[in-house]
Amino acid sequence: MIRPKILQFDDGDGRSAGWLLLLLILYSLPLDTIAKEPISKDLPAAAVLNPAAELWRDVRQRDQPTTGSTQVRGVDSGVLINAYGDQWRKFRMQQLIPVGGYALMGIVIALAVFYLMRGKVPIEGSESDKKLPRYSTYERMIHWFMASIFLFLAITGLILLFGRPVLIPMLGKEAFSILASACKEGHNLIGPLFLFALILVFSQFVRRNIYQKGDLNWLLKGGGIVGKKHVSSNFFNMGEKTMFWMLVFVGAVIVISGLVLVFPLFGQGREWMELAHVGHAIGALLMIGVIIGHIYIGTIGMQGAIEGMKTGYCDLNWAKEHHDLWAGRAEERGEALSNEEVAQLTHNHPLPSSLGVRTQEAGK
Amino acid sequence: MIGQFIDGPLWTFSLTVFLIGVVWRIAAILMAGKRPDLATPKGSAGAGALRAVFSRFLPERTVTTQGRLPLIAGYLFHLGLFALLFFAQPHIDFIAEKITGLSWPAMPHWAFIVAAEFAFAGLILLWLHRILHPVTRLLSDLDDHIGAVLVFLVMLTGCLALAQAFEPLRLIHLLSAELLLIYFPFSKLMHAFTFVMSRSYTGATMGRKGVNA
Repeated sequence: MIRPKILQFDDGDGRSAGWLLLLLILYSLPLDTIAKEPISKDLPAAAVLNPAAELWRDVRQRDQPTTGSTQVRGVDSGVLINAYGDQWRKFRMQQLIPVGGYALMGIVIALAVFYLMRGKVPIEGSESDKKLPRYSTYERMIHWFMASIFLFLAITGLILLFGRPVLIPMLGKEAFSILASACKEGHNLIGPLFLFALILVFSQFVRRNIYQKGDLNWLLKGGGIVGKKHVSSNFFNMGEKTMFWMLVFVGAVIVISGLVLVFPLFGQGREWMELAHVGHAIGALLMIGVIIGHIYIGTIGMQGAIEGMKTGYCDLNWAKEHHDLWAGRAEERGEALSNEEVAQLTHNHPLPSSLGVRTQEAGK
Repeated sequence: MIGQFIDGPLWTFSLTVFLIGVVWRIAAILMAGKRPDLATPKGSAGAGALRAVFSRFLPERTVTTQGRLPLIAGYLFHLGLFALLFFAQPHIDFIAEKITGLSWPAMPHWAFIVAAEFAFAGLILLWLHRILHPVTRLLSDLDDHIGAVLVFLVMLTGCLALAQAFEPLRLIHLLSAELLLIYFPFSKLMHAFTFVMSRSYTGATMGRKGVNA
């Protein structure tokens, strides 16, 4: 029998040609189509059971949170994997950090734009030659105490929240780990002082921050921001009062959630801590945004706004323009002092005899 | 390199300056003597001195009504700092290793937290009172502010290094403590040692005159 030479693979000359033909045939076959051909629907898929699947489903506790039994005594000791932890992690990384970061940047940009449009709000009648006593030394002490604690906690908290995406590229991982450790320890140790400051501020200022007649009018007229007409206000205007109550209520959320996070003494598990972290971070970001606005008005936003907290006395014209209801009453009571008298009081120069005990330090 | 310097020569130097400076200041006060009082004593100088040393811990009634917060802040700060300095575990370990070789029981962690809160709250409030109250602001000089800032820095860096996991944080805390030790003898911080002498001197003088002061 004579076979074609090309099929004689064992033939020295024809071997390569035979391989070539085979390759051509294979190449011409619609292998990709075969590969993509779905398994016939008529044929039932072979049920391959992973013997570990059920075990891991129980371990991950996705279907229903269950607690195992263990010899170890402690909160969450019967939980191998906290299923909500992944949700919390994703929320923190994918929503809280980017949204919170953009929101804070947005506030700063909005204030910058507002400043460029409106500039520093001046005292329209220019500075007066008289002043009104506005805050006592005690009130200024507790205000600045709260301010210093808040700023420290805000800075350390922001470093902990945004450090990974913002600071690691600048500092490197090693330097950031040192900074983060310092911030964490500082934040945790100083944090409880915020509660102390909150109690002091609340007890001292609550009476003047109760909403009263005229406050709603201030709000309806946008606090005088829109347009150039000043709106009547009491000792504190509606915006300041709202900030006070935000500080009290949001501050309470921040304090309680912070205590839950720092002191695991109340039997709280990981889920409570994740919830506390979310509340703590959202509340803190909210208050930081509000305080940025507060600092803006006190520093570059408005002439004379910070004077009361610095010296205890505010300009009479400023008071009439921004807190006219209170200024009118204070003036009627004869509380207005000349600038010279205030200079003597604040620098402890010898008092004119006419002043008597009309000093702020004597309890006004 | 810097770490070795802070841990070694600078520590030795600062401790030496502190010890010699404190002894020198106390010796200078004791050697200054006192003017002879030729009047007939109307009371016991010793009893007056003893009474003044302890009675001054309780403030005058006018002080308690006019300046309650600085008073409370003062106690919070001094008691908190004392507890932190001598009864915090890391400090006991450090003193035992570097100075005395002796150790004593540390306060529990919860007490450490409470002491730290007291000390921080007290110091911040006292410093705010110093700069905001017109009288204390006028009475204060640069020395007061440097002393307050240095003590605050030592406390803050200690607080930041609490994890005891990073050498740079420990070194920063130690460096700030060394700066404080060097500054201490030349400042009003010496009142930590001299308050007994000043109180007893006043008390003895008044006691001899029969004045209950």
